[in-house]
Amino acid sequence: MPRVDSLWGVSRVWLRFFDVFTKGVWYYLVTTFLEPILYLLSFGLGVGSLVGDVTAAGHQVSYRAFIFSGIIAQTVLFQGFMEGAYGGFVRMYYQRIFQAIAVTPITLSEVLWGELLWDTTKATAAAEVVVIIGVVAGDFPPLALVTVLPLALVSALLFSALGLAAAAYARSIEQMSYPQYLLVFPMFLFCGVFYPLEKLPPGLQILAWCLPLTSVTSLAHSLALGFPIEARAFPILLGWMTFLVAVSRRAMIRRLVK
Amino acid sequence: MADREDSRLIVARLTKRYHLRSGDPPVLEAVSDISFEIAPGECFGLLGPNGAGKSTTIQCISGFYPASSGRVTIGGFDVHRDPKSARQLLGVCSQEDTLDTDFSVRDQLARYATFFRVPLREGRRRADELLRRFGLDDKAEQPVESLSGGMRRRLQVARTLISEPRVLLLDEPTTGLDPEVRRLLWDILMEARGQGVAMLLSTHYMDEAERLCDRVAMLHQGKILDCAAPQDLIERHIGAGEVEEEVRPGVVWRRPPNLEDVYLKVTGARLEVPHAQG
Repeated sequence: MPRVDSLWGVSRVWLRFFDVFTKGVWYYLVTTFLEPILYLLSFGLGVGSLVGDVTAAGHQVSYRAFIFSGIIAQTVLFQGFMEGAYGGFVRMYYQRIFQAIAVTPITLSEVLWGELLWDTTKATAAAEVVVIIGVVAGDFPPLALVTVLPLALVSALLFSALGLAAAAYARSIEQMSYPQYLLVFPMFLFCGVFYPLEKLPPGLQILAWCLPLTSVTSLAHSLALGFPIEARAFPILLGWMTFLVAVSRRAMIRRLVK
Repeated sequence: MADREDSRLIVARLTKRYHLRSGDPPVLEAVSDISFEIAPGECFGLLGPNGAGKSTTIQCISGFYPASSGRVTIGGFDVHRDPKSARQLLGVCSQEDTLDTDFSVRDQLARYATFFRVPLREGRRRADELLRRFGLDDKAEQPVESLSGGMRRRLQVARTLISEPRVLLLDEPTTGLDPEVRRLLWDILMEARGQGVAMLLSTHYMDEAERLCDRVAMLHQGKILDCAAPQDLIERHIGAGEVEEEVRPGVVWRRPPNLEDVYLKVTGARLEVPHAQG
């Protein structure tokens, strides 16, 4: 059980981020919420008008609805990873904020939880904006606002941890391009955001299921569009989350504490 | 809050070894079995060349680095076993700039105070007071990025005082400051000492150590070579007479010995002992 004063420490760090957020609301609105909306408009309206309907998992839905639910997954991936990786690197390497706070009554462990939970909060909020748009457009049931929330939280923590791990291992800010191009973009393109996974050759499908984003898109399709739930998505998602949270915290502590 | 008399810093047989990987044999012993105690109202200097282990010592005392062996207590709290209680009494000014550039000068201080359970309102009040004393009050609403290097250094020292610490760790606090600001900072630090703060000062400036420190420890290759009041160290290692030094070809200075002579002698940076008469 975490101690009460540890929760206090984590909440202080989270509030530090929230404070920065409230000082630059317009900046955050543009950088956090505009991106998924642009994807929605481009793929939903543009590509959607070309494709019409898609059939996936035995369901026929409009391509717009299909892409809306995929963009939920894409949003937690990009928002979580970018904030954890680039935000985390800047705070650790250039600003040295982690080091400054971890000599106060707040420990480094609590600082890192505060960082991860803030990144998670931000990515989850962005994903919920996508759900709101889907509900308003009539593509998702209103209940999706609630049912998607736990999925968004778990996957946002997963990708924030992936980002923070990237920051912990990167020697320079440029090196974060490696996980971005080798992991984030391939997941974005091959994990069922833009087309049903069944369209891929079976070998690639297995590969795609090994990556964490496939479970997120699969569950997003289930919760927002009523596709049947793939049971394997749960252990894959929780396994990746647990693994990456542990790796990111361990790597960051080992980098900072000699 | 611990009693003023209790809030001393005790470093007992502190050793810090660096390992490439945990479990591997150590590659470097950065701090070797050092011990000292700093009483409330005392300023203790840590002198030594780059790489002597000054910053490692400070990182271990703040509890940011674990110690390989030995013990550090602040006001009776073990900094490694109970960092939250120990650090409630501690202010740390690290050698590196760790200012939070996402906040203005004033908010920066007030926000930092909340990490010590100081309410934001009280933090703002203290921030205004500190900014006035440090001559930064006209910059209160400015972003940190707009400050000069010297001002940033001043702000970072001011930030260490926001929690009203009983023990201060200052790692080269005056590096890069002009003489005027350096004196302003000395005055503020001495005022804190007068209020019973125990102070550890790591510095390169011998005149600073000689002026501020009640006692200094000469640190070299992780070991304390000698530790005493500056005047006692000078008498012990150099003697009471004048030192003769050829500063330029044909120009010879005769002057009283100072801490720098001791520093150079005991760290072996200069093997030849300056000419001295007892």
